[in-house]
Amino acid sequence: MAELPGAGLATAQAAAPGTDPQIVVDPRKPYLDVDHLQIGLQRDGLPLHIVDTVTVSLLPGASLGIVGESGSGKTMLCRSFTGTLGRYGVGITGGRLSIAGHDLTNAREKDWRPIRGRAVGYVPQSSLAGLNPVLTVETQLLEALGLGSRTLTKAQARIEARQLLDMVKIPRADAVLHERSHQLSGGMRQRVMIAAALALRPPLLVLDEPTTALDVTVQYEILVLIRQLREELGMGLILVSHDLAVVEFLCSQVMTMYAGATVEIGASENIRSRPRHPYTNALLHSRLGMAERGKDLVAIPGESPAVGAWPEGCRFWPRCSSAADACRTGAQPAPRLVDGHLTACIRAEDVT
Amino acid sequence: MAGNLIEVTDLHVTYRTASTDVLAVRGLNLTVGAGQSTGIVGESGSGKSTVAKALVGLVPPTSGSIRIDGDLVAGERAKGYHRGSRWKVQMIFQDPYGSLDPRQQPLDAVLEAIQHWRKLSKAQARTEALDLLKSVGITERQATSGLRALSGGQRQRISIARALAPSPQVLVADEPTSSLDQSAQAAILNLLRRIQAERGLSVIFISHDLGLVRYLTEDVIVMKDGFVVEQGPTDQVLHHPTQEYTQRLIASALA
Repeated sequence: MAELPGAGLATAQAAAPGTDPQIVVDPRKPYLDVDHLQIGLQRDGLPLHIVDTVTVSLLPGASLGIVGESGSGKTMLCRSFTGTLGRYGVGITGGRLSIAGHDLTNAREKDWRPIRGRAVGYVPQSSLAGLNPVLTVETQLLEALGLGSRTLTKAQARIEARQLLDMVKIPRADAVLHERSHQLSGGMRQRVMIAAALALRPPLLVLDEPTTALDVTVQYEILVLIRQLREELGMGLILVSHDLAVVEFLCSQVMTMYAGATVEIGASENIRSRPRHPYTNALLHSRLGMAERGKDLVAIPGESPAVGAWPEGCRFWPRCSSAADACRTGAQPAPRLVDGHLTACIRAEDVT
Repeated sequence: MAGNLIEVTDLHVTYRTASTDVLAVRGLNLTVGAGQSTGIVGESGSGKSTVAKALVGLVPPTSGSIRIDGDLVAGERAKGYHRGSRWKVQMIFQDPYGSLDPRQQPLDAVLEAIQHWRKLSKAQARTEALDLLKSVGITERQATSGLRALSGGQRQRISIARALAPSPQVLVADEPTSSLDQSAQAAILNLLRRIQAERGLSVIFISHDLGLVRYLTEDVIVMKDGFVVEQGPTDQVLHHPTQEYTQRLIASALA
């Protein structure tokens, strides 16, 4: 594949001091491997699933966009990649998760700590509010660089912090280092958040809705920056968005999620031209860019089902115009190969 | 200029703070006919939301005038927003989570608006509110349950029903779908188009989304830093932008 990472990444991490687990970047093996993953909690003694099930693997340096409505489980899935599910009172309840050569399915906080920022850089949703308003940008970057836990002198760390700001192309970086979040524009704050996520040079960057609150011109600049960073660092990317245009701009693969499950996954171009799941198809056609003035937009009727209220059979059937009797019974269909990519629709051959 | 429902002339709005004056709108002219749609696009700080607020009387113009249906409703010579015209212009806000009272049933939110604008018995007002909610796709059960169970799209429908309570002539929609998912956005925009056609409403769409403006409006105003950068028929402005800033906005929009 054309998306192999620079060899430098792996060696840089291997040289990390102490006994920290190695971050393995093997170009032949998935860097991220998610197999029938379930995320949920116990309620009244019964399991309540939020994600059920997602299967996806990503080679080093590859890119994946995740699309789906609010409540489809996209954000919880991302949190599982950074070991932060526990903070939300949920956990992995089934399947397997492995990142950088480590099986993290049952990892506890102490297992995650030496891996977290080194294996996966994470920019959470609403990250414009993610900076601490009372600390300077430099203080927060020093924290991200692991000052205190790594054998790094303060002088070295300051140089690295400054380099991080250059990396995300922040003008007047020397001044910005000593500023606080209220002094920065939305675009600048997002650049600082990305810089912090890149502090330990993770081979994979996960961005959850990175541009939703930004103006169009700023959104464009941030997307271009992310693209440049990937080229420079050979870094993999997972990008969550409800905007298919944003995903297509940056990602060569797309996964559609609906009610906690992978419903379609494959090459972006292939899915764009031949969606084989009615949900992805409807999403593609509900775009304003596709709309003709004076004609109704394609809208999906109804609302997505709440967690715990997923219907029997294919979870999308109550809103699906192609649903047949067979769609209304049994379990959520497992994705299968149709027209070059995976779809969870049992009637995929008939979806146009 | 006869026949224009909305007529805004040389609108200026300045916010005075203790230290500085913020020139939010620096000269805007706008005419909208009955049943027509105009878009105002621009980025954060462009002044587009201030125009919306001035139209409904949430901020007073510093100079210039706003006429609705021939009546001077706000501006230099007006004493506050013309009371008799208030019902004519209603607004839908960006964030349906913040613009509805979480302790209030959806039905009560609409009922309150109906009773504010019109002298109806409690029973009549209730029937009317339920009809209005039904027309935007909210069932009686949803209307009488808590707001918590409702999605962003459903909440925005309630906001629309509330705005329609006085049977207004003008709807000002400030980013009505920017906090919604794409499929919820499609449903809300279809609804707004249907309501506009049925009621012959004039609509002002405030948005940063050029795709939305292209799809919904006949005319567009591009704003930046309080100034009108470019103004004209939407197709002309989006296909043949004459200003560098408009060109940059168009280039930044993803297909």
